[in-house]
Amino acid sequence: RCRWRCRALLSRPAGALRAHRGLAAGPEMHFGFQTVTEEERREKIYQVFESVAKKYDVMNDSMTLGIHRVWKDILMHKMNPSPGTLLLDVAGGTGDIAFRFINYVRSVRERQLQRKLRHHQNLSWQEIFESYQKDNLNSLGDSQVVVCDINREMLKVGKQKAQHLGYTEGLSWVLGNAEELPFDDDKFDVYTIAFGIRNVTRIDLALQEAYRVLKPGGRFLCLEFSHVSNPLLSRLYDLYSFQVIPVLGEVIAGDWKSYQYLVESIRRFPPQEELKAMIEDAGFFKVDYENLNFGIVAIHSGFKL
Amino acid sequence: VRCQHYPPLRALQASAALRRASDGHQKEPLTSSSQQHFDSPPAAHQPEQEPQAPRPSYTGQGGQESEDYESEEQLQHRILTAALEFVPEHGWTAEAIAEGAKTLGLSVAAAGMFHSDGSELILHFVSECNAKLSQLLEKEQKLVQLGEAEKKPIDEFLRDAVEARLRMLIPYIEKWPQALSILLLPRNIPSSLNLLTSMIDDIWHYAGDQSTDFNWYTRRAVLTGIYNTTELVMMQDSSPGFEDTWRFLENRVADAMAMSNTASQVQSTGEAVVQGLMGAAVTVSNAETSRAVR
Repeated sequence: RCRWRCRALLSRPAGALRAHRGLAAGPEMHFGFQTVTEEERREKIYQVFESVAKKYDVMNDSMTLGIHRVWKDILMHKMNPSPGTLLLDVAGGTGDIAFRFINYVRSVRERQLQRKLRHHQNLSWQEIFESYQKDNLNSLGDSQVVVCDINREMLKVGKQKAQHLGYTEGLSWVLGNAEELPFDDDKFDVYTIAFGIRNVTRIDLALQEAYRVLKPGGRFLCLEFSHVSNPLLSRLYDLYSFQVIPVLGEVIAGDWKSYQYLVESIRRFPPQEELKAMIEDAGFFKVDYENLNFGIVAIHSGFKL
Repeated sequence: VRCQHYPPLRALQASAALRRASDGHQKEPLTSSSQQHFDSPPAAHQPEQEPQAPRPSYTGQGGQESEDYESEEQLQHRILTAALEFVPEHGWTAEAIAEGAKTLGLSVAAAGMFHSDGSELILHFVSECNAKLSQLLEKEQKLVQLGEAEKKPIDEFLRDAVEARLRMLIPYIEKWPQALSILLLPRNIPSSLNLLTSMIDDIWHYAGDQSTDFNWYTRRAVLTGIYNTTELVMMQDSSPGFEDTWRFLENRVADAMAMSNTASQVQSTGEAVVQGLMGAAVTVSNAETSRAVR
């Protein structure tokens, strides 16, 4: 295996492109710095997440020093969902995005109700009380989030978390593959995939599926590790990624290999502009990206118009 | 670091929702004025479509008749126009834009295309009002040229133009203070200032060659001052039909006219004032140096 990795490292730049674009030529794919077939890749990734599921959140916090929470908050602010939005969170396993969505929509809804009440200054007490009751049953304003993940273990952890944190309404958990979603066309207002598209074997298929299930005017949002262009920062980042993270993985989750895969998969993932081109190819308009932390993470956004 | 990229040759495929929205309009015959070529320079911003052309058809590059292509800017324009009717209820916010998108059959997430503080909606509204004002003034000018109307004296002309423009705010008057404060954000000042000055220039253009002693900058500044102050008065006016505002406007315009008559006096007075100031400055500096010496 070391030989594979060394060879892959040496030929990385060209190899990455070849492995990525050579889907038509043959089923050779990258799994971190290894070269595997498509089927093998899906299997291996499934196994990776099966084994990390229970410690997924803890590992996220320790690897990113808690900054991943900020990234996800920024994603939610960028989305700025209004009550009544139907969100599909793909590869949303442990539910981070879904819970944030519910919190956000709930607070927006509260503000809406307050504003409505302020306008009803001339109503009698009885009428105000009745309208408040009617709206109170609708604290989410008909917003819904569907969490879809290919991995049963991750969904299990997510469901447990939801129960533990007290999220009861507006959530659905569906087992599904991002490359072939079990949903009808034109259903969702927003499609998000946070730190998941890297693990999808056929990104183009996932993007096409995203386009399919979104309503016209719907928004595609992708939060993912990306390319750091600043050379100094890039070196520090590489150092941290390859030296610290797998060690953390071993110490906290008892799983060196999965976190080695994680770090390698980040390096193999297409950089910002390339991903943007892929999103445009799927048919999205007004595609653009926003770098967070100098490109360690990027949010890509596109609209189905 | 945000990255914006305008894809040069892409046009929106009229998706089902968009086609449905435009099915209500009649198919327009292709005229040379509405021809747009997609090999135009990609950096060129799509010019704002006048309200008279609801859904122009474009010829493709080969000159053949193509399906209804609409650019992103046009779609955004349509969404903002639809959003205006929700402004009295929701204010100049992303919510109003979301409601507007809903009426066009799009998802509420389409409001994400715009900035979340609603500034684009306000700028859109302002430029629409300015366009309407230009049309109005042009029509009046035509009538005068055809001899069907009298040429108005300059003060009456300015008064009517500013009043017509301010009347367009009346449906949104409750939320207009909010809009003004958003337009004053540093980010929006370049665009809002641009729109304001072009409107003022427009009014002066149609006012024509009337003999005044103003030079170009003074004219701009004077009318801008009149417009802004009248707008602010209008925000706080509760009189029926805003008659207090129109009276205020009349007085300001009269002031401006009176000022022009004394412009020459002001100039010589100005010179005297400057000399006085220079003298004062010299005196002060002398006093300082003498004090320092002591």
